[in-house]
Amino acid sequence: MIEIKNLVKKYKTRQEEITALNNINLKINEGEIFGIIGPSGAGKSTLIRTVNLLEKPSSGEILINGENITSLAPDLLRKRRQKIGMIFQHFNLLNSRTVRGNVSFPLEIAGVAKAEREKRVDRLIELVGLADRADHYPAQLSGGQKQRVGIARALANEPELLLSDEATSSLDPESTGSILELLARIRDEMKLTILLITHEMEVIKQVCDRVAVMEKGRIIEEGKVIDLFANPRQSLTRRFIKSIIDFNFPEELFKDHNGGELIRVSFLGKSTHQPLISSLVKTFELDANILYGKIDDIQGIPFGTLILELEGEYNQVLKGINYLKGKGLTVEVLSDDGALDQAVQV
Amino acid sequence: MTELLTRLSRYNQLMLAGINETLYMVGFSLLIAVIIGLPLGFLTAITRKGHIMENTPVHKVLDLVINIGRSVPFIILMVAVIPLTRVIVGTSIGTTAAIVPLALAAIPFVGRIVDNALQEVSPGVIEAAQAMGATPLQIVFKVLFSESLPAIILGITLTAINLIGYSAMAGAIGGGGLGDIAIRYGYQRFKVGIMIETVIILVILVQLVQWLGNLLAKRFDHR
Repeated sequence: MIEIKNLVKKYKTRQEEITALNNINLKINEGEIFGIIGPSGAGKSTLIRTVNLLEKPSSGEILINGENITSLAPDLLRKRRQKIGMIFQHFNLLNSRTVRGNVSFPLEIAGVAKAEREKRVDRLIELVGLADRADHYPAQLSGGQKQRVGIARALANEPELLLSDEATSSLDPESTGSILELLARIRDEMKLTILLITHEMEVIKQVCDRVAVMEKGRIIEEGKVIDLFANPRQSLTRRFIKSIIDFNFPEELFKDHNGGELIRVSFLGKSTHQPLISSLVKTFELDANILYGKIDDIQGIPFGTLILELEGEYNQVLKGINYLKGKGLTVEVLSDDGALDQAVQV
Repeated sequence: MTELLTRLSRYNQLMLAGINETLYMVGFSLLIAVIIGLPLGFLTAITRKGHIMENTPVHKVLDLVINIGRSVPFIILMVAVIPLTRVIVGTSIGTTAAIVPLALAAIPFVGRIVDNALQEVSPGVIEAAQAMGATPLQIVFKVLFSESLPAIILGITLTAINLIGYSAMAGAIGGGGLGDIAIRYGYQRFKVGIMIETVIILVILVQLVQWLGNLLAKRFDHR
């Protein structure tokens, strides 16, 4: 669907040249919800804005269904943009128009006839659940309702791609949830591809199929959301995950353990149902002391975290850890105070 | 009091003519100023750096023209454009002739007000329109114009009131109008009653214009 190749964006300020996007390569499949997460200043906003060329890249290609949009003439680009919907953090609705007028706006731009326009507008307003607000002005709506108008407007010209630029970042958690639900629903109903950027891991967890993590103009990690949660490689990714899954274990846990090796085991889905601990104990003659355990839910898949204290011969401990890894679990060795022990590489 | 009013009523014809002349001068010069000033303001705004038709040289020229036009004192402008007035109207004296300098003074004023009003339109909304594939012309009419309409209406109201003030000076070239009456009868001939009457009429006129402008602006303001 979208293929981004060697994308570079440089800005020149008076003093220096800033590289906002540093050789981005990305493939987004048809019908998926792809999330890009990163701290502010990572370049994610610049990246999503290059996809409809609101931002001109310095070099590189953006292919949408095989068509390189960076080389389109202005007229063709405008036609192309009509098939790419976009929603914004601050909604960007026309204050001078009602809900109906706002949704009708892109259709007027595309030159859709009045009768057809009215039919489609009614259907869209119904779709986003604002039928009773159709003649209200944006100033009379809540943030969540405004974003619904934004979504209806973005869908008006039946786009194949929807870009979401921090669409839930100025909403309260409840509205965020309902907007994300709406996005997932329209993806299913309209066979839409959605590219969204956010700085909230919760958004990624709730709706995205795949995710890319951006830092300083680069994509540092990319994969299925569930895999990223289970097995984050970069410290930034880990930080994002920690923002929604509590990895801060109570200190008391680590105060009076028996001096064995502390490990954190994370496991996903199926392995939850295997009797791993008991085989660990039996096979490697270890004492496994469970200090802490909990299960989070990520997109309906159980994601478990266990803190174990393994006592036994050091060699056996290492073998035991490798056994768990062999079963597809993520195992991290912790130092005595519960911090991730970077020194120990098992 | 009754006696004063009876004495003043002798000048009713004069007052009516004055009101007529003022409305005629202000109305026409305002119309011309809007017709020319509105596009001038739009061009100035959209050629600004980062706007939809960025063109720095054009923007700088327009910006300078507006500033120069706004810095010439009206009484000097009025005299300075006499040759031009003669070409356009055929004479440089009279009510119609006064319209030329009045319009010339109001054009840059409207231009600046429109330019300012357009800068208040959220860049995000303009960007959203661009993302939908809108042409610059569509953005001008469907986004910039409708979003800034309340501010433009209030600006035109302000211009109208300024013109009522300026039109008092038009007496200097035989333009007539209420201000001229106040100066000739009230100030130069010490007829205080007439001066007060014209001032009261002017106050009512200004109030009326402002009220109308506010009403109209509110009608289009949905923020």
